[in-house]
Amino acid sequence: MATEYVKFVDVTKCDGCRACMVACKNWNDLPAEPQDFLGSAQSHVKTTADTWNVLQYIEHENSKGGLDYLFRHSACFHCTDAACEKVCPENAISYTEFGTVVIDHEKCVGCGYCVNNCPFEVISLKEYVDKNGDKYRKANKCTMCTDRLEEGLQPACVTTCHTGAMEFGDKAAMIKKAEERVKQIKDRYPNAMVYNPQGVGGTHTVYVLAEKPSVYGLPENPKVPTSAVVWKDYAQPIGKMMIGATTMAVVGAFITNKIFSKKTNGHDEDGGESHE
Amino acid sequence: MKKSVVSKEYLNLQKEIIALQENWKERINPESIIPNLDAGAISAGVPAAALTSINFEISLFLQWIEEINELLTKNNAELEPKLSVVLSLLDEETAIRWIDEAFSFNSVYFARFAEDNGLEEWIPQFLAETALRPYLQVTAEKIQHEITHAVPGSGCPICGEPARLAVLEDEGKKVMTCPRCLAHWNAKRVECAHCGNDDHKTIQFLTIEGDASSQIQVCDKCTGYIKVIDTRQYLSKPSASMLDLNTIHLDFVAQEQGYQAVGQIKQTN
Repeated sequence: MATEYVKFVDVTKCDGCRACMVACKNWNDLPAEPQDFLGSAQSHVKTTADTWNVLQYIEHENSKGGLDYLFRHSACFHCTDAACEKVCPENAISYTEFGTVVIDHEKCVGCGYCVNNCPFEVISLKEYVDKNGDKYRKANKCTMCTDRLEEGLQPACVTTCHTGAMEFGDKAAMIKKAEERVKQIKDRYPNAMVYNPQGVGGTHTVYVLAEKPSVYGLPENPKVPTSAVVWKDYAQPIGKMMIGATTMAVVGAFITNKIFSKKTNGHDEDGGESHE
Repeated sequence: MKKSVVSKEYLNLQKEIIALQENWKERINPESIIPNLDAGAISAGVPAAALTSINFEISLFLQWIEEINELLTKNNAELEPKLSVVLSLLDEETAIRWIDEAFSFNSVYFARFAEDNGLEEWIPQFLAETALRPYLQVTAEKIQHEITHAVPGSGCPICGEPARLAVLEDEGKKVMTCPRCLAHWNAKRVECAHCGNDDHKTIQFLTIEGDASSQIQVCDKCTGYIKVIDTRQYLSKPSASMLDLNTIHLDFVAQEQGYQAVGQIKQTN
């Protein structure tokens, strides 16, 4: 495996410029999605199939009674133990050598299991129309610019961030940096924390949050759904073993049958001859 | 950038040569390099290394040439007969001459040396240049803190190599780097390194489709170009010499477009 990289997002350095959103659209060639005014500066409610990262704008009353205007660059977390990968029946979702989680559109059948099981709700289905006019769907999400990583380049959103709120680098170094940053900002943000949830084995996007995860609409302790674990780690392997056992039984039965039927045939032939 | 027009074998060979040079640098006594910088000469564009007294250890220089020969032979056994004769041709006097001529990049001398001794043309200059670079790099390390800018048209302020490579740092600061001695100096973002032209109307940037981190800065006044690489986008920063080699496709594109590695303003009456 190549070096394990992590995208470190320090939301306390973000000024909400949305350049990360533009850089993502630009690099991944994603179309614009005109939106109605949502009552705040936030452009989209959440990530969509054509908008892989969304800048959240949150008005939050802090513990001192003051108002904090919080920003968060939200995109796929690239979980180490990804629920989407677990539930995909077509094995269309996989991990790359960089630890990122990617969708293979050739294999994706648009079933939507990944959409329903992502603890962070970052995957969406997009509807396409083929040349016969038939509609089909595919799952879409942030790829952490895996195509750039393969070229030795950092993700587009990271390289465009002008406040240095995002960095991309070696996992251990980034996590250490995040922990040090939390110590620095504790005076201003007493609830500040590193968000690298262990319920999904840690993530490849590590945040320094100014407030509790729930303030940003994030699960406090996201987990891979038990049904997904049961399905992928137990039901599927057992199912495959059962198929193997069944196949062996069929093959065994076939061979046994052959041997016995030969004997039977011989007896029949003999019988036929003796009859004649 | 991982994709390169240079073959993997050649890139690996260059990496091995750079590793050798890094080893050699540790064997150079920094005290043997005595800078004698003259502000007037520097501001006139004289390379600092030319104003520096370097006490070359000839035995080391010869040993390094032997080591390069071994490396080249290991990579391509066919080179052995061509390279084995070189050491026998190198006495102390010739070695000193090689160092002098390699420093001034005297291709004519080396071409003649090759012809006179029945060697392939590339061999003498390649060996001399490869063995000289550690000295230039240690010199650059020693003088670097005194170098802030270069005189346009004079190339690298330390070794005189034509300026051709810049990297972007921090908030977009343009830092010229020398692939030969690894010196670096600041430059204006819109300024020709060859003629000093800073008119934004006559400085253009060529980009290559699919190459998100590279630009070619071309000057319509002197028709010179330099490569500008945004290494801030890179996962790991390569050395200036590897960066220069890996971006050689930009040199091809620039030269195909009619620009030159060393720009010159045509004198007209």
